[in-house]
Amino acid sequence: MTTATLSETAAGARPAPPNRIFAVVRLYFVSPSTAIVVPWMILGFIFIVNLAIWAIIFSSVSSEADRADVQDGLSYSGASFYIFVYMGIVAIQAINLAFPFSQGYSVTRRDFYLGTSLAFVLLSAGYAAGLTVLSVIEDATNGWGFGGHMFTSVYFGTGPWWVRFGLFFTIFVFFLFLGMIFATVYVRWRANGMLVLSAAITVGLVALAALVTFTDSWPAVGEWFVSTGVNGVIVWTLVPTAVSAVASYFVLRRATPRS
Amino acid sequence: MSAVVEVEGLSKRFGQLTAVDDATFSIEENRIYGLLGRNGAGKTTVMQLLTGQDFLSEGSIRVFGENPVENARALSRVCFVKESQKYPDDFKPKHVLKSAPWFFPNWDAEFAERLVADFRLPVNRRIKKLSRGQLSAIGVIVGLASRAPLTFFDEPYLGLDAVARQTFYDRLLDDYAEHPRTVVLSTHLIDEVSNLLEHVIVIDEGKIIMDDSADALRGSATTVVGSTAAVEQFTAGREILHADRLGGLSSVTVGRLSPAERQAAAAAGLELAPVSLQQLVVRVTTSDTDWSQES
Repeated sequence: MTTATLSETAAGARPAPPNRIFAVVRLYFVSPSTAIVVPWMILGFIFIVNLAIWAIIFSSVSSEADRADVQDGLSYSGASFYIFVYMGIVAIQAINLAFPFSQGYSVTRRDFYLGTSLAFVLLSAGYAAGLTVLSVIEDATNGWGFGGHMFTSVYFGTGPWWVRFGLFFTIFVFFLFLGMIFATVYVRWRANGMLVLSAAITVGLVALAALVTFTDSWPAVGEWFVSTGVNGVIVWTLVPTAVSAVASYFVLRRATPRS
Repeated sequence: MSAVVEVEGLSKRFGQLTAVDDATFSIEENRIYGLLGRNGAGKTTVMQLLTGQDFLSEGSIRVFGENPVENARALSRVCFVKESQKYPDDFKPKHVLKSAPWFFPNWDAEFAERLVADFRLPVNRRIKKLSRGQLSAIGVIVGLASRAPLTFFDEPYLGLDAVARQTFYDRLLDDYAEHPRTVVLSTHLIDEVSNLLEHVIVIDEGKIIMDDSADALRGSATTVVGSTAAVEQFTAGREILHADRLGGLSSVTVGRLSPAERQAAAAAGLELAPVSLQQLVVRVTTSDTDWSQES
């Protein structure tokens, strides 16, 4: 449907601004290797390696009780965590080059920002859907036949499918928009901006730790994490995600492409 | 004639450096402009300001009657091909050709195909692995096939061989004849493009020092050659743009000469030689100290 609307206006005399937002979205998918093909290939490789390890463990443990014990241990898997961090880095690389490129296509910063944000939301939804499907299959096949856990780790892979999808999605948008603020600061202020941003984040975290220490609040903080739970903490990441997204917009507004 | 670009009192400062200094000029519709000047004169900065890629310090810019900054309506009619244009890491030329029509409503895919063949551009190779000339060819193809009503080429020929450059000039002229539009060409190879240009704007140290039609500029200076005594007598009281002396012979460049003055020069046994656009630009953008030392 999007394609039809685009080609219709392309034939017209004057393009309406919203089309350029969708055009920016399509820019991120015209060459799918960085954002889609490579991450899934790496994920597939990690999965195969894990599968081999599970098979080795499974065949070396014979008693039922030990097997249950192993399965419990495997559920604390961080094997799929890499994909979230990787997507954050993809976000940084993509914006760093797509911004000057889109400026060459006479795209406004506003349209670039909106198109990029929409592309990131779509990417998050796509990846979340893929991981959700894999986690459901993992459940249905009792961990691919070996009791393995890669997509159903205790951190985000439990609960009904729509909760899993929501958690996966939330983590992806967190890393993508965190990447976005780093990328936009780099695009606007280059290396100096990165130094200042890193220093500011470090100082902020230290100040927060000092505040908690001086007010003797560590037990309360611990309690909060326990009572909020893993799912709750993941939902709370929406706050820094939103802050990054809004801040990125204002950083990008005055950014210029450098040579 | 209507102006597609109107610039008034434009200045751009980067800290202490004034890259563009109180520039005022306009660009008329459907003509080919040359934006000429030395390295660091401010050519690229001017084009970045006109295309909303950079922000002005003072003055005003109107592109199609509107401020171009963050203005999708004005910018969608503009194409800016930069020598240093960056492309996404995993892009191949085919991705550029596929995505360009989404942004340029007048894009002609058939024309683009022909240009790809003309420039022998490998469309399936990663842009990172292309030669400098092939990289420039992508920009040239986008600039031509986009048929944007206002197209900027910022030194688009880097690494292109003589044949490819001639192809670029030929295609530009042919397509311009069929689809009139405004083209601004920034280049160092002034002699190569001097027949292409209809209007010339020369910028030096951020200031517009020349803004005239190419025809008017071609006759605006003449070199007088002859014996030093005769040349000195003839050029006395005139503004001298350039002077060379070799033994008893002198070669002095002066401003426009009237037909009567030309006859007088011939009678005095002096030879008159036209000054090419390139020589003219070299003369006017060479700093004062340089040629006062020579004379």
